[in-house]
Amino acid sequence: MGAPAVAALIEVLQFQNIFASFFGVLFGLFIGSTPGLTISLGMVLLLPITFKLEAVTSICLLLGLYASGMTGGSLSAILLNIPGTPSGSATAIDGYPMAQKGRAGEALGVAVSASFFGGIFGLTCLVLAAPLIARIALRFGAPELFSIVLLGLTLICSFGQTSVIKGLISGVVGLIIMTVGLDPMVGSPRFTFGQVELQAGISFLPAMIGLFAIPQILIGITGGTKVFPEYKKKVSGVLPKISSLFKLLKTMLLGSVIGTGVGAIPGAGGPIAVFLSYDYARRISKKSSNYGKGEPEGVAAPESSNNAVAGGALIPMLTLGIPGDPITAILLGALMIHGLIPGPLLFQQSQQFVYSVFWAYLIANLMNLVVTFSTIKLWVRVLKVPQKMLLPIIVILCTVGTFALRNTFFDTGIMFCFGLLGYFMLKYGFPVIPLLLAIILGPNLEEHLRMSLIISQGDYSIFVTHPISLAFIILSVFSFFGPLVWPLIKNRRRVAQKGS
Amino acid sequence: MRSGSSGMKKANIIASIVLIIFTGFYAYLTSQLPTRNLPNTLGSAFMPWLLAAFLFILAASLLIMNAIRGTQEKSNPKVSLKEGLGVIFLTIFVYLYINAIQLFGFITITPFFLAALMWISGARKWREILLVSIASTIGIYLFFQKIFKVILPQGTLF
Repeated sequence: MGAPAVAALIEVLQFQNIFASFFGVLFGLFIGSTPGLTISLGMVLLLPITFKLEAVTSICLLLGLYASGMTGGSLSAILLNIPGTPSGSATAIDGYPMAQKGRAGEALGVAVSASFFGGIFGLTCLVLAAPLIARIALRFGAPELFSIVLLGLTLICSFGQTSVIKGLISGVVGLIIMTVGLDPMVGSPRFTFGQVELQAGISFLPAMIGLFAIPQILIGITGGTKVFPEYKKKVSGVLPKISSLFKLLKTMLLGSVIGTGVGAIPGAGGPIAVFLSYDYARRISKKSSNYGKGEPEGVAAPESSNNAVAGGALIPMLTLGIPGDPITAILLGALMIHGLIPGPLLFQQSQQFVYSVFWAYLIANLMNLVVTFSTIKLWVRVLKVPQKMLLPIIVILCTVGTFALRNTFFDTGIMFCFGLLGYFMLKYGFPVIPLLLAIILGPNLEEHLRMSLIISQGDYSIFVTHPISLAFIILSVFSFFGPLVWPLIKNRRRVAQKGS
Repeated sequence: MRSGSSGMKKANIIASIVLIIFTGFYAYLTSQLPTRNLPNTLGSAFMPWLLAAFLFILAASLLIMNAIRGTQEKSNPKVSLKEGLGVIFLTIFVYLYINAIQLFGFITITPFFLAALMWISGARKWREILLVSIASTIGIYLFFQKIFKVILPQGTLF
């Protein structure tokens, strides 16, 4: 810290930069909480505006959107069980049951506080430990990236709540869906049936919207079931007590550490981090049996992780020029518009700007906390819209949202196909989250697997001779076989005890 | 045989048979994939074959487990005739909407679609339906097209 840091702070505190951050936060909350709109879409929509703005003002705007978009995605996950972002999926597991039990205020309060905690933790790592974490992440080659994606995927069986085998089937079907499109290595088409639109593969965004939104709409409209809870009374207790936050400190810390670490690994991204955090928080928790039924820890873990990912993802983006996720890839583009090339040289040549990024991210997190808490009841009002009015509007938003992704109705068709698939999966007791995660992570899995084998000249031992890869593979084996084998062991023990 | 939902047991058996048939179809398509490989790497068909094998094993396990032991899942997978017809009707309705929007444009067709869907959802006050459907269409149009410059579907006629 020195003169550049102070100069950067003074610059960030200029009115236009504070206003840009405020607008970014508001816009991010709206984008994040509206089904069908994503942070990436929001960023792309704001990019043309940033051409005319100063570099620091642009970064304040985009980081404001980044920080609050994550929180916004979780608000709709809690209130409507429709995650606005892929990372919001894990929050819905406990957040939505809390809302259904009339504890929406508490769930929202925990989500916003945990998001702030995660954001600040990620920022601290970004500022203090960036060179170290980036150096570790830089060592990750294809085998390590393959094994961490494999770990993320094997954990999905844990989400097959009532039937592990159904969770695994769901995951494998998701991986099968991701094989549609051009082969990532040799470029030959696979399962495209001559359709040009299928050559780019099936985008996970229409799939996500379809899987989460359409089944609820179908059940709501055809079955007459009330999908969204209606709150007759005011949502209260949004501001959490300090004592209850202290009880969640361990969970939030775990989520933040996982979020920052996973975020710093290029390509890993938010969905892996939130599900890893949720799963590990559940495993170490004394209240693990309450998870999935409306446990605040189940909201705090993914939420802190969610926002810590942003700080982590900025580390390799700023220091190495490697974006951690699609959002940081857009950020990287925004910087390049202003002639700033992220990488080690940025720290030497534009030191003040790097500090401006740090300060802007701090302001964005503080702004997110204040704005979200002060406007939270606006988002809660969404629940008060009658279901018979809300459901058709959601259908339109989903249609327009998926059309807007690539200006084609092909994606809208994909969304409705996934909606029908999700409906039948719901009816037949198959969890949709493993399917969704497999679609998101599947392409990376295949690419890193085949890349590793090119490096090793076809030698499979590459995955066990690399220590980090070996560690992830061992964890993957435990995650995969654990839920299958553990009940059998327990059953045998029970039989043996009865016998004796 | 363990106690459990007989409805879910039947549903699981049907689901596993459907999955096995799907695996067969997927394996057939995989066998038709071109073989164009880079040296020292896996071909295009490696991953699909691996996944087909995994899915077959899992679907067969689900079938055998349910046929022999039943299931402990309690949820009822039954889709009533009314619900089934509703799903089919809605799917056709949305398909028609997507086609109509390409002909008449978003702003022209959406209020009608919204009003019809609201009526199907149970809304009966026509004044309310009219107001919400028109206001929502205008709101979405202004939000997407005017504020965020997102191109909404244009019709060929209007």
